[in-house]
Amino acid sequence: MDQIINNLQQFWEYTGFANTTFQHILMICIGIGFIAMGIIKEWEPLLLIPIGFGMIIGNIPLYAGLSVGIYEEGSVLNILHHGVQNGWYPPLIFLGIGAMTDFSSLISNPKLLLIGAAAQFGIFAAYAASLFLGFEPHAAGAIGIIGGADGPTAIFLSSRLAPDLLGAIAVSAYSYMALVPLIQPPIMKLFTTKKERLIRMKPARVVSRAEKVIFPIVGLLLTAFIVPSGLPLLGLLFFGNLLKESGVTRRLAETARGPLIDIVTILIGLTVGCSTQADKFLQVESVKIFALGAMSFIVATTAGVLFVKVMNLFLKPGNKINPLIGNSGVSAVPDSARVSELVGLQYDRTNHLLMHAMGPNVAGVIGSAVAAGILLGFLS
Amino acid sequence: MKHYFRFILTGWVLLMAVGLFGQNPNELRLNEVLIINTEDFQDDFGVHSSWFEIFNTGYGTVDIGGCYLSNDPENLKKYTIPRADVQTKIKPRQHILFWADGKPQRGSFHVNFTLEDSQVLIFTSGDGTTVIDKVELPKDAEPNLSYGRVVDGEGSYGPHSDNEGWEFLPNTSPSTNNFSLDGKTRSESMKETDPHGWIMSVLAMSVVFLALVLLTYVFKGTGRIAINLTQKKADAFHKTKKVSMAEASGEIFAAIAMALHMYAKETEIHDIETTILTIEQVRKDYSPWSSKGQSMRRTPSVRKQ
Repeated sequence: MDQIINNLQQFWEYTGFANTTFQHILMICIGIGFIAMGIIKEWEPLLLIPIGFGMIIGNIPLYAGLSVGIYEEGSVLNILHHGVQNGWYPPLIFLGIGAMTDFSSLISNPKLLLIGAAAQFGIFAAYAASLFLGFEPHAAGAIGIIGGADGPTAIFLSSRLAPDLLGAIAVSAYSYMALVPLIQPPIMKLFTTKKERLIRMKPARVVSRAEKVIFPIVGLLLTAFIVPSGLPLLGLLFFGNLLKESGVTRRLAETARGPLIDIVTILIGLTVGCSTQADKFLQVESVKIFALGAMSFIVATTAGVLFVKVMNLFLKPGNKINPLIGNSGVSAVPDSARVSELVGLQYDRTNHLLMHAMGPNVAGVIGSAVAAGILLGFLS
Repeated sequence: MKHYFRFILTGWVLLMAVGLFGQNPNELRLNEVLIINTEDFQDDFGVHSSWFEIFNTGYGTVDIGGCYLSNDPENLKKYTIPRADVQTKIKPRQHILFWADGKPQRGSFHVNFTLEDSQVLIFTSGDGTTVIDKVELPKDAEPNLSYGRVVDGEGSYGPHSDNEGWEFLPNTSPSTNNFSLDGKTRSESMKETDPHGWIMSVLAMSVVFLALVLLTYVFKGTGRIAINLTQKKADAFHKTKKVSMAEASGEIFAAIAMALHMYAKETEIHDIETTILTIEQVRKDYSPWSSKGQSMRRTPSVRKQ
């Protein structure tokens, strides 16, 4: 009888109920919240659902030594997490993004690239603010990249600069990307006049196939020669785009933008979610990171909108840019471009800004990868 | 077809050559030598022996198994570094240490000569003839004072090396860097030089802008070229064959006149137009521009109660 009681007692000690803490419950609730946001609101469901479920998996209270936790060497989750820790997944995601992105709007109107550059102000504002709050420069760089609004880039950089903060940074980046439709419109309206919101932009010209093929090659050469440390991201982004535009590697392009990116998205989302284990995630630093992330998004959006207004001072009347596409410089593709379209339609139901906004949007992807390369070069 | 085959073959050969070059030990350098060791580091047998260090300057692992070491220019193959020893693989930017004690039976890293009476140390590749690196050993070496490259891997190298970059080092550093930085990480240095992050921000934003401004100008240029080419093609397509009036025969003029007459009659074309042009505003809420929206997710919106 004693033996049975002992066994039951031992079994109880193994269960999650015996090892649970308030922090575990809190993180599981946050995970459920993410899933709810993804399903009910449809905010970035492809990311919030895997991350949310990963949070639940990562916060099931475990008996130490079972070798199943994400931070326990050799466990399945630990092996999958290597892709995040060592920065393998983000370049693969960029390969898929490259294979699904049409750079035509950017090629037809290259000055839109500058909006993508301006929106990177958010990164460096957050960097300076992080230093002010007492973070070390390498951690500040990793936190700042949240302002790039690019999940894979944030994961890539934080895995190199501040692995301890990776969970908080990744969750913060993806959370704010999901909240782009709520964060950006008030800022866009605040910094623009009604007249500016009604600006009609010149339709984009037709871009030849040769230009589309040249773009990834020249784009890679120019950016990677300036910032070689951004090579993993830039290299695969432009490679994916060449697969798409060459027209002769359709199968490879379809794999990159289909099954490959889906698989990596599942793995990256799930493992990032799992990495938010309560004891690692629920820290004062995480709260600061969330606050800095919000600030960087606001600064990035503001910088993009204001930069367009400055550009308009130098442009001829027929070539003016609608400042409502300034927000798209943050590279939350395609949600920030979609926000431009929706806000634009609120003021003129026939003024479609989506394709114009896709230009700065994809420029933002390039800009944030370049910025990540610079931070890596200076701080690693 | 033949040309294609040649092209592919040449490319393949070049790739193979590059691959082989990447794997061979050409990026290795003799890096530090301690000729007289009386009080410096001991080997695994507790013996003070001369030692020398090889440094892998490359960013790939190199296996030096099968290469040769010698202190005799007439006999480059004096000591063969054993093959199939996992320890002969030198990782990127790492060092490997050999004991010059004349006792090769003590292991792969004990060579069959000593340095005390030697004038030169030569490292030869697996073919037994290509000298990868060579160093003239100084005659005035003091005990326990090593002679090495001031900065790892830097300076002259190869069969005609003149010891440029080599000096007596203040401290021996077997299997580690000859030149050490001050130990601060880049992050720590940045904290000292730029505590508020302004320099970093300005510099980094400038680089981001530089990269994207360059792209802007390049694609403005390619855009202009593309537009010109398209225009030329269009012009060529619409170009009609010009016939000079002198060459045209009366039949041609008659045919043209007849065609014009028939066209004018059929369509009742007249010379006086109404000169009224009516433009109606086209209203369409749907635009092909928004068709991409179909591939996107539903608009996130706050549900109204």
